[in-house]
Amino acid sequence: MESEQSNVNEQVKALLAEALQVEPELVTPDLTFGDIPQWDSMGHMEVMMRLEEYFGVEINPDTIASLISLPLICEYINNMDG
Amino acid sequence: MKTLKIEPEVSIPEYLTGEIQSKLAYVDESIVSAKVHPNRIELLVNTPSSAGEQGISQDKEKEINRKVQRVITSMAKGSIRPKIQVLEDHMDRAVNYDLDPNIKLIRLGELSQEGNGFYTIGPLLSGLIEFFEKQFLNLADSFQAKPYRFPTLISAEMLDRVGYFSAFPHSLSFVTHLREDLDVIDDFAQSTKFVSGGLNTSGESFTRIQTLLSPAVCYHLYFSLADRQLSGGHLAATGVGNCFRYEAINMSSLERLWNFTMREIIFVGSKDYVLENREAGRKRMQEFFETIDFVYRVESANDPFFIGEFRKQAAFQSAFQLKYEIRAFLPFKNDTLAVGSYNYHQDFFGRNLNITLEDSSPAHTSCVAFGLERIAYAFLAQYGLNPKDWPEPVQESIP
Repeated sequence: MESEQSNVNEQVKALLAEALQVEPELVTPDLTFGDIPQWDSMGHMEVMMRLEEYFGVEINPDTIASLISLPLICEYINNMDG
Repeated sequence: MKTLKIEPEVSIPEYLTGEIQSKLAYVDESIVSAKVHPNRIELLVNTPSSAGEQGISQDKEKEINRKVQRVITSMAKGSIRPKIQVLEDHMDRAVNYDLDPNIKLIRLGELSQEGNGFYTIGPLLSGLIEFFEKQFLNLADSFQAKPYRFPTLISAEMLDRVGYFSAFPHSLSFVTHLREDLDVIDDFAQSTKFVSGGLNTSGESFTRIQTLLSPAVCYHLYFSLADRQLSGGHLAATGVGNCFRYEAINMSSLERLWNFTMREIIFVGSKDYVLENREAGRKRMQEFFETIDFVYRVESANDPFFIGEFRKQAAFQSAFQLKYEIRAFLPFKNDTLAVGSYNYHQDFFGRNLNITLEDSSPAHTSCVAFGLERIAYAFLAQYGLNPKDWPEPVQESIP
């Protein structure tokens, strides 16, 4: 279970780096919306769309507004899986 | 003229019909009008006089079709249904007038069109605008907002810094002047004429664009605060100014002007400060609107981003509930018109313009904005042009 979560977290981290077009090293464990210039409104929506595509989920507007950090996104995806 | 019927390759959700229709105005210069139906798009296009009965060439038709499909795909494919949140609904207030005030205003000489999208406004309408201005100034006073005067011109460099060019390229209005070159100026003076709908001057006579006509009021305040720490921790300011948003064939009377006037009350500070004041502004305006029985609702909205950024930016604004519009009822067309808005920009301007708070974090901003011509127009649409039919607070205020 723990390794599954860790795997998902790594996938989310990689996806975030890809969506925001930054080096993976910049995606720190606590990275939050606005911490880096690339994670702005456009970047945020790019992240949301990539999450939808990759994990096959539909993210509603309320959730879009709540997924504002890497830990929150990971928690959301892990709970979806669970 | 010829009507083109285009079948969209991507289905258009009902919630995007209006947004897509407004963007079709920018597809091709030949388009005179555009109408989006559930399964087809109808365009009325100008045909060149040389084309004769045949109308436009097949190549031109294909080109327009390709561009229309691009608009639709870009805006509709993968779009997220916006969450509409209604904060106020006063649409059930009684109205006793149902004519379009525009026709009468023109007949009375109260409205005179000088060009496409800009008008001279007469004393009746000016008095009404003055009345609304007093209310907005009272609102500004209630926040002890400091008065500012902003220029009509705006710096291209600063607009670039806040990403305005990629977000709203279609509505920009540019300012230039003749190059500082005696031959160029002399040639212009001797040979320039207004012919075929424009000046016959070569583009090479003008300088590169460094300046535009301002599209909004609050940007000037943010630009003036750029690259420094906000003293005192927060700021409430107010200003009124000419704003310019080119809207092509969408421009229509006072409803949609190229050149309009906006009064804004602007807040800069912490997230809590700017959000609390935006909400306080809304509640105070609600009390005022009640005194004149204004028919309107306040609901979430998005800015008219151009097609490249529309899908993401509109969804972002909707998800984070960043913008609420005051939508006034227009009885003559059973529709509503945005006459003002309550906006929150998060720390977008703080980050992009390096406006910091005392703890070095980027400042948050919000603003309360009113379109003066539009609110007066909506008022006339609800009450008519006879001051005797207007609510008492308005009658008393206007000599």
